[in-house]
Amino acid sequence: MSNATLPFADLEQVYERLATTLDELPAAEESHFLAQLALALAHRVPDVDQVMAAIEEAREGAFAE
Amino acid sequence: MRPAGKGEHDSLYFDYPHFPFVRPAELEGQTLRHRVAIVGAGPVGVTAALELARHGIASVVLDDKATVNDGSRAICLSRHSLEILQQLGVGTPFVEKGLSWTQGRTYFRDREIYRFRMPHSDQERFYPMVNLQQQYIEQFLIDKAAESDLIELRWQSVVTGVNQDEEGVILTVTTPEGDYRLQCDYLLAADGARSVVRKAFDLPLHGEAYEGRYVIADVRLNSNFPTERRAFFHSRAMPDTTILVHKQPDDIWRIDYQLGPDEDPEQAVEEANTRAKVALILNEVLHEGDDWELEWWSLYKAYTLALDDYRHGRVLFIGDSAHLVPIFGVRGLNNGLADAANAGWKLAWVLKGQAPDRLLDSYSPERRGATLDVFANAGKSTRFMTPPSCGYRLMRNAALALAVHNDYASPFADPRQVTPYTYAESPLTQADDAAFDAGPVPGAPLINRRLGDDDFLLDHLGTGFTLLHFSEDGRVESALAEHIEALRARGVDITLLRVARSPAGENTLVDVDGSLFAGYGAAPGTVYLARPDRHVAARWKTLEIHALDAALTLAQGWVLEGEQS
Repeated sequence: MSNATLPFADLEQVYERLATTLDELPAAEESHFLAQLALALAHRVPDVDQVMAAIEEAREGAFAE
Repeated sequence: MRPAGKGEHDSLYFDYPHFPFVRPAELEGQTLRHRVAIVGAGPVGVTAALELARHGIASVVLDDKATVNDGSRAICLSRHSLEILQQLGVGTPFVEKGLSWTQGRTYFRDREIYRFRMPHSDQERFYPMVNLQQQYIEQFLIDKAAESDLIELRWQSVVTGVNQDEEGVILTVTTPEGDYRLQCDYLLAADGARSVVRKAFDLPLHGEAYEGRYVIADVRLNSNFPTERRAFFHSRAMPDTTILVHKQPDDIWRIDYQLGPDEDPEQAVEEANTRAKVALILNEVLHEGDDWELEWWSLYKAYTLALDDYRHGRVLFIGDSAHLVPIFGVRGLNNGLADAANAGWKLAWVLKGQAPDRLLDSYSPERRGATLDVFANAGKSTRFMTPPSCGYRLMRNAALALAVHNDYASPFADPRQVTPYTYAESPLTQADDAAFDAGPVPGAPLINRRLGDDDFLLDHLGTGFTLLHFSEDGRVESALAEHIEALRARGVDITLLRVARSPAGENTLVDVDGSLFAGYGAAPGTVYLARPDRHVAARWKTLEIHALDAALTLAQGWVLEGEQS
């Protein structure tokens, strides 16, 4: 499994671009857009375990109450 | 604002001084010419007066009030600011009264998700941050200024007109006993966000206003929670409100809470509404109970605004008159104090004849550079603290949710606290010596190092330039020693500070554990030249004397970069 990750400064850029892109979409399209994005990003990760781990991380965050 | 029935200066913990009006010589018909006038006796204006006095330059400070600031306002002093105050000989009361701290916590949905720690070690005299109400900050500075024969504080004196020509600046001052004209060679405008001086010259601020307003409220509360910065996002009690909490001396707690986009700020600051929100936060978010008293509150909106040039002829703008920055990261006051130190020594050098007038041209690029650096950080912090749109809110909450279990997302929750600015691009700063692989680069402030129990490197700086000389045994080559004496004989304020590896003669600082040499990336023969404001002007792994002259000439504005032979 590869350990290479995105430097934080780049992650910040992604954060900003996602925020402005989300703002350009109709509110009802947000989940559709994010689901597409998840698949497009997963396609670029050559290790399925990494993708599954990311899904688990996001699921835990969603239940953070 | 204060609770109904209380006066503007009716505080639970602070006795407001009353500064009487004293008739100035001008009202007795005398014609005076002041070297420097300073408009505004807030923390920035009085710091500038103290810096000028440190270099032997007299100033007159004008303020429209008869007391200090009405509320606690700017409460966080950075280590860099404390080092400025130490140089002014006024650091002690700040440390004794203030609350020192090093860390903070971020909460998301009432869970602690991140703890940030500011760099700190026993090599430092001061903590990275000290909390102290602005009234105390002003009081301590004014007390110090009152001891100086070189500083004249004129209270209840309203500047109503400003004019300048090639010879100097003329102010019109309105007082309880009539108007007068005040003449000075140079003017420092430290008169705050609504600067009268800035308006008199019709100088516009450029930048932007951010979404989101905050109420900042002080309460008196007994709580044993340590001095830290706490930030709460998406609490159960107030899910749409970002909340910041700071401890201050005298059991005073600062609670900042965001107003929603639909909330009317005028209504929000009505006492009943402020009380209700503060009660909710204290009960449901901080779990502190009902035993508290409301002290003071105010409304705040985030801006990043600055003048295009901080110099306007014989006028230098320092502090909020030159720039407005968001509160997140505590940069307003701290950058104002750095402005005052920067403008102060340069003006002193010009008035002492040690530098040409154009040294003052370097004030704006250095300090405006610092402001623009603040803007770059402040934009990110402000968009995080107060998301301006649905997209930013979604991303902010996603980052915080991931940060609960994943360290890679925690830096999003970091408050990006103020750090001193490096004047690397300044016309006064020499290019670095490539032989260094550690230590403060030219333009950066000197770093502190412990020499003993209550003894640190920065305690030993001179009033002017300091030459930090590293050697094995404290011996300085006689050619260099003679050269420094010759410079001093010509009136250059320069102090030689000898750092030795092994115990040596008097007037030598001994680097007992090697941390000073290591911190400065130094070897025997290494030299650092520091300006009066502690920023490094130049450094050499091995010094040649003519290089020192060139660096001093550059740092005092006698030549511009590129003109050097």
